[in-house]
Amino acid sequence: MEKAKGRKLSQSKRYNLTGWVFLTPAALLIAVFSFYPMIKCFIYSFQKGATFANMEWYGLNNYIRMFQDTVFMQSLKNTFVYFLIQVPIMLILALILASLLNNKDLKFKGFFRTAIFLPCATTLVSYAIIFRSLFSTDGFVNTILMKLGILDAPFAFLTNTTSARAIIILALVWRWTGYNMVFYLSGLQNIEYSVYEAAKIDGASPMQSFFHITIPLLKPTILLTAIMSTNGTLQLFDESVNLTNGGPANTSITMSHYIYDTTFKYVPNFGYSCAMSMLILILVGTLAFIQMKVGDKRD
Amino acid sequence: MISLPKKIAQYVFLILFSLFSIFPLIWMAIAATNSSIDIIRGKMTPGTYLVENYKALVGQSELWHAMGNSFKYSIMVTLLSLVVCSLAGYGFEIYHDKMKDRLMNVILLAMMVPFVATMIPLFGMMAKMGLLNTVRGFILPSISTPFLIMLFRQSARSFPHDIIEAARIDGLGEFQIFVRMFFPTMRSTYAAAMTITFMNAWNNYLWPKVIMNKPETQTMPMLVANLTSGYVTDYGMLMLSVLFCTLPTVIIFFCLQKSFAEGITGAVK
Amino acid sequence: MKKKFLATLMIVAMSASMLAGCGSKGDAPADSAATDDAAATDDAAATNDAATTDDAAATDDAAASDEEQTITVWCWDPTFNIYAMETAGEYYAKDHPNVKVEVTETAWDDLQPMITNAASTGEISQLPDIILMQDNAFQKNAISYPDLFVDLTDSGIDFSQFAAGKLGYSTVGGKNYGVPFDNGAVIACYRTDILEQAGYTIDDLTDITWSRFEEISSDVQAKTGYYLLSERSGEADLLMMMLQSAGASLFDENGGVNIANNDVLKKVVETFNSMVKNNALLLTQQNWDEYIKSFNSGSAAGVINGCWIMGSIQAAEDQAGKWAITNMPKLDGVDGATNYSNNGGSSWAITSNCQNKDLAIDFLNSTFCGSVDFYGEILPKSGAIATWAPAAEADVYGEPSDFFGGDTVFTKIVDFATKTPANNTGVYYYEARNAVTTALTNIANGADIDSELANAQATVEQQMQ
Repeated sequence: MEKAKGRKLSQSKRYNLTGWVFLTPAALLIAVFSFYPMIKCFIYSFQKGATFANMEWYGLNNYIRMFQDTVFMQSLKNTFVYFLIQVPIMLILALILASLLNNKDLKFKGFFRTAIFLPCATTLVSYAIIFRSLFSTDGFVNTILMKLGILDAPFAFLTNTTSARAIIILALVWRWTGYNMVFYLSGLQNIEYSVYEAAKIDGASPMQSFFHITIPLLKPTILLTAIMSTNGTLQLFDESVNLTNGGPANTSITMSHYIYDTTFKYVPNFGYSCAMSMLILILVGTLAFIQMKVGDKRD
Repeated sequence: MISLPKKIAQYVFLILFSLFSIFPLIWMAIAATNSSIDIIRGKMTPGTYLVENYKALVGQSELWHAMGNSFKYSIMVTLLSLVVCSLAGYGFEIYHDKMKDRLMNVILLAMMVPFVATMIPLFGMMAKMGLLNTVRGFILPSISTPFLIMLFRQSARSFPHDIIEAARIDGLGEFQIFVRMFFPTMRSTYAAAMTITFMNAWNNYLWPKVIMNKPETQTMPMLVANLTSGYVTDYGMLMLSVLFCTLPTVIIFFCLQKSFAEGITGAVK
Repeated sequence: MKKKFLATLMIVAMSASMLAGCGSKGDAPADSAATDDAAATDDAAATNDAATTDDAAATDDAAASDEEQTITVWCWDPTFNIYAMETAGEYYAKDHPNVKVEVTETAWDDLQPMITNAASTGEISQLPDIILMQDNAFQKNAISYPDLFVDLTDSGIDFSQFAAGKLGYSTVGGKNYGVPFDNGAVIACYRTDILEQAGYTIDDLTDITWSRFEEISSDVQAKTGYYLLSERSGEADLLMMMLQSAGASLFDENGGVNIANNDVLKKVVETFNSMVKNNALLLTQQNWDEYIKSFNSGSAAGVINGCWIMGSIQAAEDQAGKWAITNMPKLDGVDGATNYSNNGGSSWAITSNCQNKDLAIDFLNSTFCGSVDFYGEILPKSGAIATWAPAAEADVYGEPSDFFGGDTVFTKIVDFATKTPANNTGVYYYEARNAVTTALTNIANGADIDSELANAQATVEQQMQ
C-alpha cells in the first residue's frame, strides 16, 4: 500500500516526505514539552494571581509594570553589557584556539583540548567558590597584584560595580570558551585537510587561510554558536546568583536572576514573571533572527 | 612552514590558556585533601585530609548511589537525544525546503524562554499526565533540544551531497543512507554532541529535583547542592564531592576528543 | 510452659490487632470527615470544637493500630534539621513501633520552588506530610497559598510553651500553622584574648549600647588590629537584627511598607555607617565563605549573629577557650530597644496533602512539643537549641562549654530567646529586605539617607502591586 503510494509520488516529493518523517519525533517532543508550557506562559503574562486556579485577567499591566520596575530595567541593562562584551570575546578566542589545535603537527593536542574544555564540565558550586576565593580580599589575585606592586591595599573586587561585572564576564569566558571550541573543532574536521595544504602550496599565509578557508567553511557552526551564546547570555543566571548575588546594589543582577526571585523568593507573582520572560523571548528571538538572516545562507 | 618564534608563541599561548582553564580544577583537587577550616583560611597546598573527607562524605550521603543514578539517567538521555536530534537535524538539512527552514526557526524559539517560567506549567502538565516521580517525567523534556537539532543541521551542511547521490544509485534507502553513510561520516559531530549532551544531562539539576523527590532518586548535583544548604558547610567534603561530580564528564571528553581529530576523509571509503 | 505462654500472647496480640484493624477501617470515613472539617474550619470557627473532639478520638485509633505507617518529611542539613527529625522519629517509634519517619534531604533553595510548583498548579499529591519552612518565608507561603498548610491552632499542641518572638513567624491571622523548631536568638561572641590585650573584659561588652560598642571596637581595632565585628557588604543581616532588637520592622501593622519615614531604620543605618567609618565594623565581600573566614582566620575578633553561627566559630579548634558569649548591643535613644534579637531559624508545617493528619500532629506533639529528653539528646550533637521553653530543663542545657570558656551557653541563649521582641516579617519580607540592602549600599557610597530610603519605599510599593 505504502510502497504503491510512494511510487506514485514524484522523487522530490518522496524525499520531502522522508525529511518530515525524520524530524517528526523531535518536533513533536518540542511541541509538547516546550511549546505547550510556553503558550501557557504567554497567557499567564496577561494575568495575575498566586495559584493557577484563581488567576484573573490583568491586561497589559504586567508589561507596563516591567518598564516602571527600576530593578528589572537595571537587570536589562546589565544583561546587555554582558552580552555585548562577553559574546564576541569568547567566540573569537574559541575560534583562534580551535584553529591552533587543529594543527596536525601540534604536540600534546589531547592535553590542550581537555584542559581548555575542562571549565565547562566543572559544576557551578565549585567554580563559584573558586572564583569567589580567588577574588577575595586576601585571595590569590589580590596577593599577586600586591606583590607586583600594582595595588597598595587589597581591592574588594566583588563589591565594586565595574570589577564585579568584569569578574562575571571573566567567569563566563573561562567557562564557555572551551565549550564553543568543541563545536569549531568538530566543524573543522569536516573541512578536508588537503584544502589547507593546497592553500599553503599556493603561498597563503596562515592568517590568509584562517580568513579565507576556516571562517567561511565554519560559517554554519559560527552561526550556531552565536545564536546559542546570545541565548545563553540573555538568560544568564548562575553567575549573577553565585558570584555577586546581583550586587552591589543590583548593578550586576541579570534578567533571569530577577525573574527567579519574583517567582520563588518574593511573593509569588507568576504572571509578572511570565511577562518578563516574554520580553527575553522577544529580545533573543530578534537577535537570532538577525543572525539567521546574515549567516544562514546555503551557497 | 611556520617560523620557530611563531611556533613558540603558539605553544606559550596554548600553555597559558590551558593553565588558566585548569587552575581551578587543580585548586579543587587540592582543596579536597584539606580540612574545611584550612580551605576557609586559604591554604593552597595539598593536605592530609582526603581520607577523612571521603569518610565524612560517604557517612553523610549516598555517594555511590547518587553516582549510579546520575550515570543511568545521563546515559539514557544522551542516547535518546542523539538518535532523535540527529535524525531531525539531518532531515532539516538534507531535505530542506522553505517550510522546513521556517519550522527550524520556530523550533529555535523553544529555548528562548527562561526555564523558570516554563517549569511551573510543565510541572502541572506532568502531574496531569501522571508522570510525577517517574523517570519518564524527568527524561522526556530533555530529549529533543533545539540546540542539538541545530548542531546536526549545521553539520549536515558540510556532508557531501554526491555521497547521497551515489548511495541512492546503489539502491540504498533514505534511512539506510542516514545510518550507513551519515552516521560514520559525522563521527566528530556525534562525539562533540555526545560530550555536550552528557554534560548537560549530568549537570541538570532543578527539573529532576522538582519532578523526582525521593531519596533513592538523588543525583550528584543534588547531593552537592545539599552539602551547601546547612548552617555550617564542610568545604573539604564539598570539594571532594564536586570532584566526583566533575570527573565523569572530563573523562568522557578525554576519551572522545581524539575523534574530533579524525577528519572526514578517514571515515568515508 | 514458656513457649505456650508466648504462643497465647501472640494469639491475643494478633486478634487484638485484627480488631484494631477492623476498628480503624470502620472509623475511616469518620476520620476523613474530621479532616475535611478541619480544612473547612478555616472560615467557620464554631465547628472547630466538634472537629477537635473527632480528631482526638481518631488520634487514639492511629496510635493503637498496628498498620505500618510512614510520615514523610522534606528538610535540609543532615547534621542539624535532618538529624533532629530522624531522632524524633526514633523517639516516636519507641511507643509507636509501626510508625516510620522518612526524610528526603531537600535544600531550602529547592524546597521553595517545589512548594511553589505544587501550590500554584494545585497538584499537591507529591508533597510530603511535613515540611520545614524558613521562618522568614513562612508568612509569604501561608498567605499566598491559604490551603497549603494545616491549621494547628486547635490541634492540642500547647503553643504557649514556645517563645512568643519565635511563634510570630508561623502565626497568620491569629492561627498557628507551624511548630517552631530551632532557635535563631542573636548572640554576640568575642575573643577574650584580644579584648584582654586592649584592656577590656567580656563584661564591658555586656548590656551595652551601639555607641559604646563603637567606642570599644574602634579602640580594640586601633590597639590590636582586630575588628570586633564583621558583616558582608551588600547583605542586610546585621541591619535586620538591629531593627528587630528594637521591635521595629520594615512594615507597619497593616502590612504597609514602612521604610521611608521609619526613624528606627534611619537610626540603624546611621549607626551602621558610623561604625564602618570609625573602624568598628569590618565589611567583607558579600559571599558567605569570606564572612566565615573573617573570624575563623582572625581579622575579626567578634561575631554577632543567630546562635547557629556557633558551629562555624567552633570549627576553628585552635581558638577553643578564647571565645565568650554575651548579648548584642542595643540602639541608643530608641523606645523599646533591647539587647536581644533573632536571625534565622525555621518551623515545621504540616501540608494539606498529609493523609493522616492526626498521626502527624501526634508525632510533633509528642516530640518537638512534648519531649524534654528528645531536645536533650539532639543538643550536644547538632547544637540545635530549642524554642520550646520546657526543653531548657534538660540537663545538657546546663552543661558548660569548654570552647566558650566554660560558660553555660545554652541556658544563656534560651534566656535571650525569651527576651527577643517579636518580628513582623510581613509578606513582602524579601522584597523589602532587598530594597533596603540596595539603599544601604548606595548610602555607603555617599548617597543621601532620606532619598535612598524613599527610593526603597517606592521600589517595594511598586513590587507590591
